[in-house]
Amino acid sequence: MKPLRRLLDRIAPQFEEGGKWKKAYPLWEALDSFLYTPGIRTSSGPHIRDGNDMKRTMVTVVVALIPCTLFAWFNTGFQEMQALDPSIAGPAQVDWIAAILKGLGVFLPLYIVTVAVGGALETLFAVVRKHEINEGFLVTSLLFPLILPPTLPLWQVGLGIAFGVVLGKEVFGGTGMNILNPALTGRIFLYFAYPARMSGDGVWTASPESWADGYSGATPLARFYSEGSASLETLDWWDSFWGFIPGSLGETCVAACLLGAAILVFTKVGSWRIMLSCVLGLVGTTLLFNALAPDPGHYLAIPWEWQLVTGGFAFGAVFMATDPVSAAQTRTGMWIYGALIGALTVMVRVLNPAYPEGMMLAIIFMNIFAPVIDHYVVRANIRRRERRLGLQ
Amino acid sequence: MKRATRELLLDPLHLQNPITLQVLGICSALAITNKLETSLVMCGALTFVLVCSNTIISCLRNLIPGSIRIITQLAIIATLVIIADQILLAFFYDLAKELTVFVGLIITNCIVMGRAEAFAMANPPGRSALDGLSNAMGYNLILVGVGFFRELLGAGKLLGFSVLKTVSEGGWYEPNGLMVLAPAAFLIIGLFIWVQRWLSPEMNEES
Amino acid sequence: MCGQISVAGRDALDFSNRYILGFSLALCLVCSTAVSALAVGLKERQEANRVLDMKVNILKVARLVEGENAPTAEEVEAFFKDIEASVVDRESGATLDGIDPWTFAPLKEARKPGGGVDASELPEISRTLAKRIALKRIPRALVVYRVNKPGKECLVLPIWGNGLWSLLEGFLAVNLDENRVVGITFFAHKETAGLGGEVDNPTWKAQWPGKTLFDGDSPAVTVVKKGAVRDSGHQVDGIAGATITSLAVGNAVQLWLGDSGYGPFLDILQEESR
Repeated sequence: MKPLRRLLDRIAPQFEEGGKWKKAYPLWEALDSFLYTPGIRTSSGPHIRDGNDMKRTMVTVVVALIPCTLFAWFNTGFQEMQALDPSIAGPAQVDWIAAILKGLGVFLPLYIVTVAVGGALETLFAVVRKHEINEGFLVTSLLFPLILPPTLPLWQVGLGIAFGVVLGKEVFGGTGMNILNPALTGRIFLYFAYPARMSGDGVWTASPESWADGYSGATPLARFYSEGSASLETLDWWDSFWGFIPGSLGETCVAACLLGAAILVFTKVGSWRIMLSCVLGLVGTTLLFNALAPDPGHYLAIPWEWQLVTGGFAFGAVFMATDPVSAAQTRTGMWIYGALIGALTVMVRVLNPAYPEGMMLAIIFMNIFAPVIDHYVVRANIRRRERRLGLQ
Repeated sequence: MKRATRELLLDPLHLQNPITLQVLGICSALAITNKLETSLVMCGALTFVLVCSNTIISCLRNLIPGSIRIITQLAIIATLVIIADQILLAFFYDLAKELTVFVGLIITNCIVMGRAEAFAMANPPGRSALDGLSNAMGYNLILVGVGFFRELLGAGKLLGFSVLKTVSEGGWYEPNGLMVLAPAAFLIIGLFIWVQRWLSPEMNEES
Repeated sequence: MCGQISVAGRDALDFSNRYILGFSLALCLVCSTAVSALAVGLKERQEANRVLDMKVNILKVARLVEGENAPTAEEVEAFFKDIEASVVDRESGATLDGIDPWTFAPLKEARKPGGGVDASELPEISRTLAKRIALKRIPRALVVYRVNKPGKECLVLPIWGNGLWSLLEGFLAVNLDENRVVGITFFAHKETAGLGGEVDNPTWKAQWPGKTLFDGDSPAVTVVKKGAVRDSGHQVDGIAGATITSLAVGNAVQLWLGDSGYGPFLDILQEESR
């Protein structure tokens, strides 16, 4: 590794103040801090001594995403094989390597376009605004393709990530200043701009042109809506839990999300309070709706254990809602924030006939409210302490 | 041209723009800008109402009792708005149908009341008419801009003529559905504000 | 929302109460005169516009004019020499004389107190259909337009029903002798652009002409979920991603062609032609 360090140090002056490439300093800085731990310390107090930094936080999230990513490759390939040949009953009947390679063929173009377009914009803003390229984009660029339907045209992928990076993050001042999750902002833009490509039964399995006869391609959520709880009889809960169902690339497997959650919670990068409160909010609201359902076959009667394992709920609760920048910061705030995400998700799913899935809308909506929640939590705290001191 | 007159005429177009700086009249800017044509008609109606109301109120400014001046302004503006609405219904029916209630809602457009109260009540008719015209132009500039982008990107058309041939017509352009929804106007106005502040940093608030 | 508004610097006490009263009276008088004079003066023209607009839509659905370009008022009138409008009783199907079909609006009539029938009083099938398209009131009388132009004979029937977000209002053109649909159009709706809004898309509407109207006594033409067409003789493929809107259109067509809609009137016509 020594020669690499020496090379970086040798070219450094070119990029620093007065050098030939000083405009491209963010690029050099990004490469340097990606490869090595920078020797810079915080210069103003107060200091907390900790080996953790932004790079390590972001890399932890990427590591936590690995199970979902690997599963995304397999499931995308598996769904495509099943669409071509409906006689395939389960994942045991396909060649895993072939399925993963097939899925990789879908994932890689999406990922490359995301990194190329998003990375170029990130660099452009870093150069113009003279700040450093942030590691946060590593996470955004991996999250974004995982929440897209596999059939999305590549130009829309580019447009979506461009919207997410510029209007979801850079206009607010870049990483750490954004009020919305950039990856979700990009997805929401695509969802409203090109609804036919982002929803419906035809988008969740690669190349619908090659579908075999009798293949529907509907996600469990779409089937809940059209068939009510009668659809539960033909669906297997474990299929949804393990993720062998059509859906956005990386969000189908609850098991992989749980593995990711374990990594995030163990390393204290993701807040367990938010994840748990999301689940509680979803379960509570579902039970309420179950009680209100006019008959057991009604859409309102879909039980909570199904609501938990379908759509993007698990993925969103673990990787999106816990985004430390756009989530609530206070502890009480986290509980409120997560519970409302869970509740809103079920409300959109069940009460709004236009949108079968509500996780994305719920998270973005609560992102907007997170600062308000924090504000009132802090105010309440101040009032309580004032009262204790007899100031009021 | 005298400096004061030039400022009166040009400031509302950019530095004192009623929509992007004062953030007035947003409601109609969201509602009717999904097509360039309806934007243009709305611009015409607002220009008519704003110039006339400023002139009339300025003429009457020394006769209007201070205690009932707001309701007086409102009555005059409402009359002008109804006139504009009725004329549209009689002569431009197709467009009036698409504008629905939004012509009527010019009454509540803050730009009109704002200019009447802030300018016409204290200035002679000539200058008030000019002020009305320039403020209307500031509004029009933004509205036409928003209408242009929303129709072009949302439907691939301009004034109803196909510019970008859409996929459903056998072309290549896939219309952007977000642009047809009202929130798109927020995004576009936001981008306009970004560009304006980038061009004239003096528009930024001090932090 | 209104930014800063400076107070016009004059003292309210400058004016006597009598002056203020007189001023307000004069203002009211001038304003109301202006508004009412204009409204009365332009009423005829506005009404003519409304009727012309409706006529153009009828011509389009009956395929008398094609393409996007709207015909001029004279052209429309020339076409309407061959079109006769009448108001019919919904339950008996009998033609009602003495009501002007050009000013009678069934949809508005149904909403007036006592002007229509509550949908819950309809027979079973119609009640279910009305519930699916969220119609609460059904008018007692309906308007039909009979196109007699040789080679283009058809009936144009106003239909309406609620889709996902909004009321869809449109016309269905049918040819009774050949038992087929001539066309469908929607002139007012607020469905999601790009999804439900596609009911207005010419490509989607092009599926309708030629579909079988009735199978025996019951309406045959219907809309099914996208990709679920089994018999293209009477099933119309829904719009991708807009199942609710598409099915609402199908339900509306079924309701209005059925016994609680234009059914009785269509029966009488068929009897006559036999």
